[in-house]
Amino acid sequence: MPDSSAQEPRYEALWPLTRRAVEDRNTAPRIPDLNGKVIGELWDVIFRGETIYPQVREHVRAKFPGAKFVEYSEFGNFYGPKGEAIASTLADKLKAHKVDAVIVGIGA
Amino acid sequence: MGIPTVSIIGNAFMRQADVVSRGLGLPLAYAEYPGAPMVDGVEELSTKVRNTLAPGIIKGLTQGRDTPSSVAIETEPTPGSVIMNGTLDEIQEYFYRKLWTDGMPIIPPTQKRIDEFLKFTDRKPDEVLRAVPQEGREVTILGIAITGCLSGCRPEYMPLLIAVIEAMCDPEFHIEHCGSTPGWEPLVVVSGPIIKQLDFNYGQGVMRVGRQANTTVGRFVRMFLRNICGYRIPPGAGDKGSISFTFNVALAEDEDTAREIGWPTYGMDQGFKPEDSVVTVRSVVAITPPTYSGGDEAIDHVQQFADVMGATFTYWSHTGMKRGYWHPLIVVGPSIARVIAREWSKDDVRKYLFNNVKVTAGKATHFAQMTSTPTFSLPKLVAEGTLPKEYHESDDPERLVRVFIHEAMTGILVAGDPGRNQSRGYMGNHDQAPPTSRKVMLPKNWDALLAQKHV
Repeated sequence: MPDSSAQEPRYEALWPLTRRAVEDRNTAPRIPDLNGKVIGELWDVIFRGETIYPQVREHVRAKFPGAKFVEYSEFGNFYGPKGEAIASTLADKLKAHKVDAVIVGIGA
Repeated sequence: MGIPTVSIIGNAFMRQADVVSRGLGLPLAYAEYPGAPMVDGVEELSTKVRNTLAPGIIKGLTQGRDTPSSVAIETEPTPGSVIMNGTLDEIQEYFYRKLWTDGMPIIPPTQKRIDEFLKFTDRKPDEVLRAVPQEGREVTILGIAITGCLSGCRPEYMPLLIAVIEAMCDPEFHIEHCGSTPGWEPLVVVSGPIIKQLDFNYGQGVMRVGRQANTTVGRFVRMFLRNICGYRIPPGAGDKGSISFTFNVALAEDEDTAREIGWPTYGMDQGFKPEDSVVTVRSVVAITPPTYSGGDEAIDHVQQFADVMGATFTYWSHTGMKRGYWHPLIVVGPSIARVIAREWSKDDVRKYLFNNVKVTAGKATHFAQMTSTPTFSLPKLVAEGTLPKEYHESDDPERLVRVFIHEAMTGILVAGDPGRNQSRGYMGNHDQAPPTSRKVMLPKNWDALLAQKHV
């Protein structure tokens, strides 16, 4: 049988990952008072957003009665068959509706 | 644009949200939905929105997140640097604890081994193909070589490995969806002379582990998704396949039989010449039962495909309907292909399946609503132009609609045991990783390099 006390080979293993090519940034400043602000809704048309978004609007308005909403139907489904085309229009639509903040959903 | 956002995230997806957030370089704000919205009753959902989600949304927009991303970003090594010196056991343990393996032993990527891989490409090791989700890491030739080595690939597989990753890096492949909950797994289909040059199995047991080329190329794909893209199951994060299944060995076609019976090869179906070596990478989310068929007429077999494989494909067809296309694949056993090809072309097979595999509109709608989309509507999909008008000829839920949305969508190739009457179907995940092909580009001295290797 081989001599088990013989020294085992050693290996210099290279790092298996690659460089992270991401520039870390800050997100946009928050809005402490949503009264008078326009909140846009982006929805991927799954996971009961048709029920959740209307309820969220009620709760936001309960705290900030002056908050306005641009509902998800205005923006289209960024996750659907025309998702990329719709995503490319979002910046212009957000500007056109003078949106101040966005709720994006739903990942579940 | 300077617009603050908050994302609605199910609480089981928070760690994935962190991975995505880090990969974008943005500490995104989330609002938690506790649990799975698809299984909550109306009252329970309202309670969760009232008590948790809405307050989280308000906080996300007005204050932002409490803490930075929960996964700290460490200073990382230089690509290609030595990360440790150890025995085989020490390296296995270290790599496993760092989540750099797939749970199986790896081949230590030493410089010597990697140099052997790099001999098989004319491209420079630091060439960047693109940065990929979810971690925003660069895909490099060196990274491909190291991943191939870890996975047990031979160095001579390198040109094929590069082609596989090029296909996966194509924006049309949608690599950003590789962690989705259906838990689909990529499948590499190999076409052309490289099948025999690298000793891929295309006969009996074609989809089983055992042959190094098929097995390690399949393993390589999953290793790439874990290490370079960042799709990991717990204790990692990023891969949200709910139950999932595991890597597919690479599938090579029995091109000899295809040529003998007068069918174009799968590579030719993708638009390549018969002499091109090609890889096509696509999603597989389910596999049909082994489909046995008998008889000496084409209809005997293709009707069986429609009945048996069609049954599997029927349930998931709503996902294709939502997008207007999807990509089933039929792997036809060679003896069966010989019978079919006496009378029918591949297009004839596609046409039969297109015309004869149907589901009621009510069932398709029900399946979609159960999955994720309570608002699924065939009339709406027709109105939007996603589906042809025939999908809304009436509002009768019993009306039959096609499972195969377009004839040309169905992939067909010949492989498996020529001594048995068995075929199988592979179901793709709608537009997540549709079949995406790349030609394998060989180094200038391929023949000489290959001759030095014992294959």
